[in-house]
Amino acid sequence: MNELSHAFVVFISAIFTQNILLSYFLGLCPFIGVSREVKTSFGLGLAVIFVMTSTCLLNWLAYEYVIEPLGLHFFRFILFIIIIAAFVQFVEMVIERFSPSLYQRLGVFLPLITVNCAILGASLFMVIRDYSFIVTFGYGLGSGIGWFLAIIAMAGIRQRLAIDRIPKGLQGPGITLIIAGLMALAFIGFTGVLSGN
Amino acid sequence: MIRKKAWFPVVYMFCLTAFFSTIVIGFTQVTGERVEANEKLSFEKAVLAALPGLYEKNLSRLELHKRFTESVSPPDNFSAAAYTLRQNGQIIAYALPVSGRGFWAPIKGVIGIKADKKTITGIAFYQQNETPGLGAEIAKAAFTEQFRGKTISTDGPPLNIKRPGAVLGDSDVHAVTGATQTSTRLEKIINDGLEEWLSRTTTQGNAK
Amino acid sequence: MTAKTSRSKSIITEGLWYNNPVFKQVLGICSTLAVTNLVLNTLVMCVALIFTLSLSSFTVSVLREFTPRNIRMMIETLIIAFYVIIVDVLLKAFWPEMSGNLGPYVGLIITNCIVMGRCEAYGNSNPPAKAFIDGFFNALGYTFILLIIATFREILGMGTFLGFAVPYFSGPNWDKWIIMVMPPGAFFMLAIVTWIFRSIQAVKEDKAK
Repeated sequence: MNELSHAFVVFISAIFTQNILLSYFLGLCPFIGVSREVKTSFGLGLAVIFVMTSTCLLNWLAYEYVIEPLGLHFFRFILFIIIIAAFVQFVEMVIERFSPSLYQRLGVFLPLITVNCAILGASLFMVIRDYSFIVTFGYGLGSGIGWFLAIIAMAGIRQRLAIDRIPKGLQGPGITLIIAGLMALAFIGFTGVLSGN
Repeated sequence: MIRKKAWFPVVYMFCLTAFFSTIVIGFTQVTGERVEANEKLSFEKAVLAALPGLYEKNLSRLELHKRFTESVSPPDNFSAAAYTLRQNGQIIAYALPVSGRGFWAPIKGVIGIKADKKTITGIAFYQQNETPGLGAEIAKAAFTEQFRGKTISTDGPPLNIKRPGAVLGDSDVHAVTGATQTSTRLEKIINDGLEEWLSRTTTQGNAK
Repeated sequence: MTAKTSRSKSIITEGLWYNNPVFKQVLGICSTLAVTNLVLNTLVMCVALIFTLSLSSFTVSVLREFTPRNIRMMIETLIIAFYVIIVDVLLKAFWPEMSGNLGPYVGLIITNCIVMGRCEAYGNSNPPAKAFIDGFFNALGYTFILLIIATFREILGMGTFLGFAVPYFSGPNWDKWIIMVMPPGAFFMLAIVTWIFRSIQAVKEDKAK
């Protein structure tokens, strides 16, 4: 029960107070590059939630049952990234095979995910913080949802900005970063929501 | 051409992996002992830093280790989990290792307590993974120095970490600015450790 | 000879200025931005990045004749991971405090898009020496921008520079900007730096016309 409640706390704080994107800056490149439209952001965000949760759990298993017993701590980087790459490839093949329509919507984003640092970052944090399996699930899912929320919100704002006049130097990445800063500020407002725990 | 063969990518990948892995393994072998020694040393350093008058900033690794083995005695029945500093067989101070869940990862540290079991002689952390620049500041002198000379309170929690700017009593310190979560957890780690240790040592003392 | 020097010169200015990884390409900020609230941490991360980027670009370039195209990405990841592991091991052995401070961020250099980006865009199709120079100066261009950000964040937010107290900013008359130490400060600083440098570039380009 205690583990479960800890998992829940981690889940909530991974979404809001310690958002992987807004407080840890992970997954920033696709966040800036792909957040022009809500539709594409939505697809990418969903793919991230799915892949992040699954790879966190897979990597947890790999860490617990392969890396730890064999003492291969230094190889965790390579093993994690290979697992992530292989998993993404596998999912891509499965989706293409069984649901061409879903592939149309999600497929193009999958290769992008392999190089999304948030995915590897979540796995590395999970190891460093010594999470148990169930907490890792909460963390992976929470981080994925947190990333999804951030990119959707950003895409919504950017769509409205498209017709606004912005100083030349600020166009594109500049204004996106300022909005991200404001969003990070807003998310800090959630701090304390969980202090009751 | 050999490169056109279907098996070439597999063999190529395999050879490359084997090559790089060999170097990495060799590398970790060479540095492995040092990494292990580092971990042990950081604990010893924390113990010395928590006890009064032992730690100096410019000690070399060897001197640190020597000083630790010479002056600090390992925990015994009487001191419960704490390491002790003795002079002529008389205990001057205890060094109590504490650990618990920080905001992100486990925090491990050492609390130094005078023989009267009331006054804190120092505190040091040797493992933490809090946010760099925020929670991680708990390991810096600016934060840990505050504990020196504080008194363990007998009513209420032994020590309090109060928000920055608050008026401090005899057993209060200021938290690191912006690191609310880390501070709350740290307070719990310190107090749980102290309370448990105090109850263990006093019951033992009474039994005697 | 002259043609050759001017070309390697253009690699240098491309990486440092015209095609700067941070304010022009906006790539690879993720793994470092988080530690820019202290100059020292930033410096170590950037040195690690310079090491990884130049050497992995070099290695990719050396192997480019042999690497089958379909497993190119895997090989590149492997090479990058190799150098990152070396950095990680070195830090753990010889500077354990710093290794603890940086936490997982050293490992995250593997997925730093700028490393993969330069290997793909340059190392893959150019000779080793040039790939090395390109990697080195891209990483240097990255370093100087992040150091600017870190300097402002540390001085305004903590009143220190490299851990030493800065007169006035550490005194009682300066109300420390806590926001600078926290994540939003990094976003704002990066946005401001991007704005300034892009505007300078735009003005220069206008003049050139």
